[in-house]
Amino acid sequence: MKLSGIGIRRLLQISSGLVILGLLLEIVSLLWFHPLSFVLFAFVAAGLIGLGILVYLVSLVFVAEPSESTGR
Amino acid sequence: MVGILIGQIAFSIVLASIFLFRPSLTSAAGWKIVAFVGLCVLPGLCLVGGMNTHVQRSETTRFCTSCHVMVPFGQSLYIDDANHIPAQHFQNHRVPADMACYSCHADYGIYGPLDDKLRGLKRIYLQYVTTPPAAAAIRIPGGFKNAQCLHCHAGARSFEENPVHTALMSSLTSNQVSCLGSGCHDTAHDIANLEHQKFWKPIQ
Repeated sequence: MKLSGIGIRRLLQISSGLVILGLLLEIVSLLWFHPLSFVLFAFVAAGLIGLGILVYLVSLVFVAEPSESTGR
Repeated sequence: MVGILIGQIAFSIVLASIFLFRPSLTSAAGWKIVAFVGLCVLPGLCLVGGMNTHVQRSETTRFCTSCHVMVPFGQSLYIDDANHIPAQHFQNHRVPADMACYSCHADYGIYGPLDDKLRGLKRIYLQYVTTPPAAAAIRIPGGFKNAQCLHCHAGARSFEENPVHTALMSSLTSNQVSCLGSGCHDTAHDIANLEHQKFWKPIQ
């Protein structure tokens, strides 16, 4: 599927979902005092947040804003 | 500091949630800026803050001794024996007590902190994926470097006025003679004999 076919609003939802999940895991990693908390932050939370930011930036660059009539 | 960071993360989550449930809001110019802040700037700042907090936390004595295999090393800091170098440094606050492990074991080179973190990740891998070594079998790769002692002691009057140190100075700085393995300060983390030791109990 082409990116323009997905639509900016769908990409925004994906982006915010990834960012929220990553941030929630970051809170867990900060409250959990354990050697694995660093692994949880560095490899899972940071990955999800980074991916969310990337999806948002991709939505800005590659996807055109839908017209009001399409409502997508 | 962690509280402030968690507050910032909570605010970011609230802001990002708006675009999860109402993505159509970004049609308006003002909301486009909010989306940029909520989905790019704030999460980026949360990442930097989180990394900073985790790196600082990983330098604490409590963090190092939270690994099962490091527990005996943590206990050895309380050995009641002035000849026991790590215990003497820890108990007399010659190193910050809350960063005792890091103070002596950090590589003070330019890429030292990165090397330390990679070594720590390797230890986590050994702990959870393969069989971890017994505590008594753990050795520092390449041995303990004098640079870690000299980082604090070099230039100190009590160190430089000691005739033994003066005589050996070039050998010490070039690491040809080890501070720990030359018959001078050779009792460090004697965990094999931990059960025979007397322990210091700090006054609460």
